[in-house]
Amino acid sequence: MYELLANLWMGFGVAATPTNVMLCMIGATVGTLIGVLPGIGSLATIAMLLPITFGLPPVGALIMLAGIYYGAQYGGSTTSILVNIPGESSSVVTMLDGHQMARQGRAGPALAIAAIGSFFAGCVATVLVAALGAPLTAMALLFGPAEYFSLMVLGLIFAVVLAKGSIIKALTMILAGLLMSMIGSDLETGAERMTWGIPELSDGIGFVVVGMGVFGFGEILRNLESTGTRDIIDSKITNLMPSLPDLKASAGAIGRGTIIGSALGILPGGGAIIAAFAAYTFEKRMSKTPHRFGRGAIEGVAAPEAANNAAAQTSFIPLLTLGIPPNPVMALMVGAMTIHGIVPGPQVMTKQPELFWGMIASMWIGNLALIVINLPLVGVWVRLLRVPYRHLFPMIVIFCCIGIYSVNNAPFDVTMTAIFGVIGYWLVKHDFEPAPMILGFVLGPLMEENLRRAMLIARGDATVFVTRPISAGLLAISLLMLVLSILPTLRAKREEVFTE
Amino acid sequence: MSDVSDSLSRTPDEQKSYDYYAGIGLAVAGAILLTTSFMVRNPVPLTVRGAIVLFMAGGLAVTFGFLRVKNQQDYYGGMALVLLSLIAFVASNDLPGMRGFAFGPGTAPRLFAFTLGALSLIVAVMGLITPGPYVTKYKIRGVIFITGSILTFAATIRSLGLVIASFATIIICAAAAEDIRWKETLFWAALLTAFCSFLFPYGLNLPFQLWPRFY
Repeated sequence: MYELLANLWMGFGVAATPTNVMLCMIGATVGTLIGVLPGIGSLATIAMLLPITFGLPPVGALIMLAGIYYGAQYGGSTTSILVNIPGESSSVVTMLDGHQMARQGRAGPALAIAAIGSFFAGCVATVLVAALGAPLTAMALLFGPAEYFSLMVLGLIFAVVLAKGSIIKALTMILAGLLMSMIGSDLETGAERMTWGIPELSDGIGFVVVGMGVFGFGEILRNLESTGTRDIIDSKITNLMPSLPDLKASAGAIGRGTIIGSALGILPGGGAIIAAFAAYTFEKRMSKTPHRFGRGAIEGVAAPEAANNAAAQTSFIPLLTLGIPPNPVMALMVGAMTIHGIVPGPQVMTKQPELFWGMIASMWIGNLALIVINLPLVGVWVRLLRVPYRHLFPMIVIFCCIGIYSVNNAPFDVTMTAIFGVIGYWLVKHDFEPAPMILGFVLGPLMEENLRRAMLIARGDATVFVTRPISAGLLAISLLMLVLSILPTLRAKREEVFTE
Repeated sequence: MSDVSDSLSRTPDEQKSYDYYAGIGLAVAGAILLTTSFMVRNPVPLTVRGAIVLFMAGGLAVTFGFLRVKNQQDYYGGMALVLLSLIAFVASNDLPGMRGFAFGPGTAPRLFAFTLGALSLIVAVMGLITPGPYVTKYKIRGVIFITGSILTFAATIRSLGLVIASFATIIICAAAAEDIRWKETLFWAALLTAFCSFLFPYGLNLPFQLWPRFY
């Protein structure tokens, strides 16, 4: 306990320097600014804003990125409440009651309770990340290559089970991602793999290229399809502060949402989305007046917002302790860390404690920044939402182009992104979820490396994955999850959750 | 995608003609891959070539109506991924496989390609058995102008500098919107270009060249 406090104190020492607080604030503001734009999720936001962190020292850059992430998340909720469009997938649930509240002239309290819920959840989750960091890192040191491989299998299976849509299609997406990550030089032998003799491919395809293409440009292409009108709340937003009964009603919901969100966020694979769904459903079941849900119940905003923020935060745990990104956003964080020369994993905590704890402390500062910045700026966001899409997307395109180009100063990367944009559009047209593909793409090199090492250590004996207890346990859980999700009864349940 | 706007839906006849051309497309892609498979250094195994021929047959069978596609999304999606796995087999053909009990550079790609091929085949076959949604029309205008603008950026950024490259990119990509208003767009493009040319080189200190290089 004492050690934890000492570590957190050190973290605040790093994060609370004026520069880092500034960076965190700027990150949260810019993240919200972009996240508010409908149709741009947190992944595309981070990908787009990645270049602005290039010039910074690693700690500052990661703090800023974390700020951008929370900002993007919160911006998504703002869009859901004010316009009937989810700013991103995890705020779909917020839309149900939030937009109804806004229609009843209570947009102010809805936005405020979303911010307060997120802040509370963020505080709890920050402590949780700090507390779980050390023991999990200790556990990670027991892991050999076989265990790492099995853990990644588990992560990918979770991503499949928790993703919406067909399970087998999600599995094919993962494999497609793994396969694409093999392009480039082989780590051990240096042999060029599947590059077709194109020299630019010998370094492999960059993660930012795939992410920005599929999620940035792909989204734009899809958004251009719908010429639907937006249902923006026109009336002026007055009295932001929720009333006392509002606060009383949502206090319990925020607490429960935080617990559900923290637990689900640690699980690999789309934690934030499922957490929001679960918290909302749970709240509706708990409520004495379930009929109010969907008609502007404040608990229906508080619970999912708390849950998705808690999950967003706790999803840093597997990344920081095990080096395994549990969702595409965290995968992008890995990309960002590698650009700054940091290899995420258990060694971060021991070798660069100031980075680890500084980032954790900055999570709390980021959440505070959201409250401080966002509530006064609501008016600005509303105005931004009125900007027609035909003005927004050229801006997104040019920022993305400059962003990708500045990663390597390579026009080839920009060209590849255009191709991946079309691929992303094609995937959506054929009802494939791109998120598992990205996860597979990021985990691919790690998985292959550990697979090869495990096989080498075991002298080619493939049973090593089931004879080592931890590895066998992880694989057994993955298999169980997969079987359970294919069983018809559970499958129906799963669909019910996603259609609700 | 529940809210398919009317402009993107296809009549049954249009769906049929989509099947016709998409089948030909699959066959042509397979034929190109088959030709490529003769150009790699080591001979491609007969099983892989056989699989490519079968793949082409799967495309032609749809074109000529021997197979009826019940779920276009699954069938063409699955087939495209089968093609991807076949491409991976051809591309990784020259890479050495297992050496004793150590993985060679080609082992993992072929392992993943095989699994991908098997699973995608299931997806494609399901598309023939269980009915499901068809593939809605593509917004070709968006695809052309958006990719066109990105490629323009890639082609011009080195030689013409940030100012001209971003202005051209913004104008071209703005044309993707059906409700484009040219005067507004020109103004907006100028504003954005000014913003970018200030923010990236000066605000963020990224090494950008602003104007064309004259030798």
